[in-house]
Amino acid sequence: MIQDPVIVGVLGTLGVFLLIFLGMPIAFAMMLTGFVGLSVLASVDAALPVAASTMWHVASFYPYTVIPLFVIMGGFAGSSGITRELYSSFEKWTRRLPGGLAIATIGACGGFAAVSGSSVATAATMGTVALPEMVRFKYDDKLATGCVAAGGTLGFLIPPSIGFVVYGMLTEQSIGKLLVAGILPGLLLTLCYIAIVVLWVRMWPEAAPKNPEPISWNEKALALKGVWEPLAIFFFVMGGIYSGFFTPTEAGAIGATVLLLVTIVKRTLTGSALFTALTESVRISAMVLMLVAGANVFSYFMALSTIPMQVASWTAALGVSPYIIHGVILFIFLILGCFLDAISMMVLTLPVIFPVILALHFDPIWFGVIAVLMMEAGLITPPMGLNIFTVAGVAKGVRVETIFRGVAPFLLSILAVAIILTAFPQIALVLPNMMVR
Amino acid sequence: MSNEANVFTRFRSVIQTITRVVSYIGMGLLVPMMLLTSADVTARSLWSRPIPGTLELSSFMLSILILLGVAYTHQMNGHVRVTMLTDRLPEKWRESLNILTTLLTLFIVVIVFWQGIVVAFESGAVSDMLRIPELPFRLLVSVAALFMAFELIFNLVDSFRALIK
Repeated sequence: MIQDPVIVGVLGTLGVFLLIFLGMPIAFAMMLTGFVGLSVLASVDAALPVAASTMWHVASFYPYTVIPLFVIMGGFAGSSGITRELYSSFEKWTRRLPGGLAIATIGACGGFAAVSGSSVATAATMGTVALPEMVRFKYDDKLATGCVAAGGTLGFLIPPSIGFVVYGMLTEQSIGKLLVAGILPGLLLTLCYIAIVVLWVRMWPEAAPKNPEPISWNEKALALKGVWEPLAIFFFVMGGIYSGFFTPTEAGAIGATVLLLVTIVKRTLTGSALFTALTESVRISAMVLMLVAGANVFSYFMALSTIPMQVASWTAALGVSPYIIHGVILFIFLILGCFLDAISMMVLTLPVIFPVILALHFDPIWFGVIAVLMMEAGLITPPMGLNIFTVAGVAKGVRVETIFRGVAPFLLSILAVAIILTAFPQIALVLPNMMVR
Repeated sequence: MSNEANVFTRFRSVIQTITRVVSYIGMGLLVPMMLLTSADVTARSLWSRPIPGTLELSSFMLSILILLGVAYTHQMNGHVRVTMLTDRLPEKWRESLNILTTLLTLFIVVIVFWQGIVVAFESGAVSDMLRIPELPFRLLVSVAALFMAFELIFNLVDSFRALIK
């Protein structure tokens, strides 16, 4: 049998998208298409063992232990009461500002993101703490739910972050460098979100009535207590990675252990909270690693079809500015993010897009930050924004459409940050470039 | 309810309970995995004496955690899928498509089950430091596929029932 590998590859790609939109679980759709594609391009005998052996290699690959560990960090952080403390300390400092409660929500989301690896957990825990407060002060529904949903996305950019781990795994980049690269852009995005809130309230002051209750400097100083704990854990974990003292995987274990100790010392850990944290960790890890296994099978097929290579050399030979292609890639991410969840989007697109990025001589670490930023956008774009549905689950009586409208300005600021990072890649690269290794 | 339906319901609840229980075993390993790695880093940095075999023990624990969690994740509807389009279809169409995609998933899962055994017995590898044979852990790939296949069959039955109803 002689087939044009490119045609087979294109058919396979169309096939996988068709299966996905028919509702087949994405991991298995990729595995199946990969298997069929390999059978056609190589042989059935060669294709048969690929899925099983890939599943073994993915499930037993030591660096991947970081995924359950990053998730469980979030679980422990949530049950340690850090969320509530962070929120109340930020609230004391931002009370005088326009939209103070919304700013406090975003700040606390950022703080929580610094000790948690998953984004949805951030939105869910913060929603239960911050939304009732904003309702009490008669905040506009759009602003209140929008800032929780958007703030939740910070979990993806601010390390520890599963997004960077998956990107690093798929592209064989240093996960440590990627995590460190996320710090400054994460801060920048947090500031942009805050700027959006301030602008919003300047334009429509009725959206965020002020809390008239005065606050003394004494209280403010005392409130700092709620911040130092997550901050200390963050600096310990990231400092260890930065200095090369331990690997990101070890950092996940140490961070989780420290947080577990915190919950034990503060006596906030209940049996059911531990159980929830563990089940959630297993669920997310099995889901992510099955996606990675499916993606690996699929990308063997893609490699055999020569499509990634051909697309890369074709785009490099186009002669247009690499930034136009970069813009097209961002657009693709934005559109796909509307329909796919963040991790699936990465595993589906990176086998083809990453060689293009390399061929255009973009920095792979910098692109990792951009990719994770676009994953965040995918969490809040209609019709399939995971964070939106999470917030809708917490905010009773608020329509999903309202949340989508509320989150739209924040989406703009994600795009703004993507543009800023493209103009000044140093923001992402200055820290990782200073790393020892 | 007819007798056969009763037997099926019993069978289903037994299998699903086993799926949950084995996933709890994997889950329980997460805490030792975390503590072992932390202890390794502490011992390495304070007394420059790492705990031998931390890496491979962690890998084995990860494989148990993940592979025994695959079917459980499916039971909790945790594997990502896009239902945006199928949700808008009339029930008949939706269930028919469900049957189609479930059968396709079952097909690849059965291949994984079969090849999981073949690949496991072919390798015969042992771990580097502690010389632990990989075989029992490699066979977990097939265990994962087996329980996954059961879950998929239950889904098929549900879809068929919804169709003839």
